[in-house]
Amino acid sequence: MAAAATCGTGAGSTGSMVAAGGKNNVTSFQRRGPRASGSDSSYSRLVSIAGTRPSVRNGQLLVSTGLPALDQLLGGGLAVGTVLLIEEDKYNIYSSLLFKYFLAEGIINGHTLLVASAKEDPADILQELPAPLLDDNVKKDFDEDACNHKTAESNIKMKIAWRYQLLPKMEAGPVSSSRFGHYYDASKKMPQELIEASKWHGFFSPEKSSSTLNIEPCSLTHGYIKLLQFIQNIIYEEGFDGSNPQKKQKNILRIGIQNLGSPLWGDDICCTENGNSHSLTKFLYVLRGLLRTSLSACMITMPTHLIQNKAIISRVTNLSDTVVGLESFIGSERETNPLYKDYHGLIHIRQIPRLNNLIYDVSDVKDLAFKLKKKLFTIEKRVE
Amino acid sequence: MESVLALRGLVLLRDSVEWEGRSLLKALIKKAALGGEQVHILGCEVSEEEFRAGFDSSINSRLVYYDLFRDPLNWAQTGEALPGGPLGALQAMCKRTDPGPVTVALDSLSWLLLRLPCAALCQALCAMSRQHACRGGGPAAEQLCVLGLLHRELHGPGPTGALSSLAQTEVTLGGTAGQASAHILCRRPRQRPPLETLWFSVLPDLSLDLQGGPPLESQPHPDPHTPQVEPASHLTFNLHLSKREREAKDSLTLPFQFSSEKQQALLRPGPGPATSRIFYEPDAFDDLDPEDPDGDLDV
Repeated sequence: MAAAATCGTGAGSTGSMVAAGGKNNVTSFQRRGPRASGSDSSYSRLVSIAGTRPSVRNGQLLVSTGLPALDQLLGGGLAVGTVLLIEEDKYNIYSSLLFKYFLAEGIINGHTLLVASAKEDPADILQELPAPLLDDNVKKDFDEDACNHKTAESNIKMKIAWRYQLLPKMEAGPVSSSRFGHYYDASKKMPQELIEASKWHGFFSPEKSSSTLNIEPCSLTHGYIKLLQFIQNIIYEEGFDGSNPQKKQKNILRIGIQNLGSPLWGDDICCTENGNSHSLTKFLYVLRGLLRTSLSACMITMPTHLIQNKAIISRVTNLSDTVVGLESFIGSERETNPLYKDYHGLIHIRQIPRLNNLIYDVSDVKDLAFKLKKKLFTIEKRVE
Repeated sequence: MESVLALRGLVLLRDSVEWEGRSLLKALIKKAALGGEQVHILGCEVSEEEFRAGFDSSINSRLVYYDLFRDPLNWAQTGEALPGGPLGALQAMCKRTDPGPVTVALDSLSWLLLRLPCAALCQALCAMSRQHACRGGGPAAEQLCVLGLLHRELHGPGPTGALSSLAQTEVTLGGTAGQASAHILCRRPRQRPPLETLWFSVLPDLSLDLQGGPPLESQPHPDPHTPQVEPASHLTFNLHLSKREREAKDSLTLPFQFSSEKQQALLRPGPGPATSRIFYEPDAFDDLDPEDPDGDLDV
């Protein structure tokens, strides 16, 4: 029983369904991947949620973050039921771009979106999403980029030793549109009909929390309470936690929360050192509980460079599952350093979760930099 | 400076003890009033007479002034004060603006920041532009400009950082040798923020005089301490090839590339073993044992 239960949870966050179906099996070992005859029907239905795939390492259900390079660094994608925290860069340019990629990926895959923000109206955020790159345009863009890159450098031909010449060339660009992660064109906007066809819920903090009561310290600020209630209602009403038996196809809820912790949410951790330091951490704790019991994935961007009390940052990191920090070179002395001239900033993978696993899925590359070309956002290992 | 007034939204004027910003604020107000916009002023730090000094009567008649200096806590109960304290005053101000381009000047934002919780002030500032957009029908970005005077020595990094993240434009006043300068940072939503430095002076009639560049005796570069890092200097190997070396390199055949000459050479029976030999002359210190030439038997 215990062995069956642990195997069941190993197959995904909603492993309870699998365990229930698995009672018919005699053995407690379950094979990964699609099986032929005698397969568990509920398991195959689980895998067929659009836009998800099981992880190759432990079968955890993954969704794409919208950026295939980031998916690769996170071990295949963002696990369903977890929180991805993005530490914003100083001028909030690249973190908002990652946020938009996450939402755009949800629209392309047909997931339900929940967008929460205190600064911009969620409807305005959705209007600004990048357009997906279609197959026939993609190869053209990639070749264009490759040509520009080559002509910029001097033409030094490299002679390759024989064993590498015979190997097939690695496909660096996107190949098909039906695979897991998609590429987006940051210079174009998503077509209106795709946005209208998608299902989304918006939470705009100034509208929802109109009262300015003084709440006692060490409790959640008003904006956070309202947001948690909103998320809980959506999860319950739309059946993402399995409460309402869903007759229709199961779907993933993508939650995007922008600028969490900024003063616009009513939280003052960015303003003072001795503010209400428990509000944000309580919010993250409750949010993680909500996510773990539902088919949802959450991306939060947080201006950690403004948080005055550094202990809060480490607590927030512990309470999130995956933490990625962005550091842009704008305004810093690194902008003029020729070692960094090809890149716009650095990406730090601060934490990778250990979900149903004894080891981390950490990639061995630590020195990563990103660059926003005219259309594409690329992450590369920093080459000296 | 044209770019400062062309952009709307929250504009922070950060001054300091040496370089005061109120004259620049008044100059910007004058420019806005001459441009036909409505101007609303929340005066907290100086009295109304002192603030209005310097403006001529036509401009003075167009300014709508809310006075929080004389009686900030409303002890006189005259009824003309705005209800709700400073926060109520801010909210009431934005209710009284008509649709159209509006400039709101807060003198000063520091005064408000010291008396109100920072989070509430940030929310009120964002709400101002949003409510104005709702009433005006046009996007708030072009309609409302909020000029806030902030004394940067009064506040810690927390509140100034929070306000900077909200502001569309930050103007930091500084200067050298009697000449004032303004470092202007505009945050654009999707692009890198450009940083400009303008040298200016405010004339007695509150008009702006922009100088072209810094005066001669100022320092040449804001941070001269980081020289350009040249990664390819002081190397112990040669990164560049001369023409002759490059030709030699190109004509070299790689070890695993089978050209026809190599194939023939390998197929041909090689010359006998007498072509290569090792000659060895034992010297005085060698002690070779003829039964154990390698010296590794443990005897």
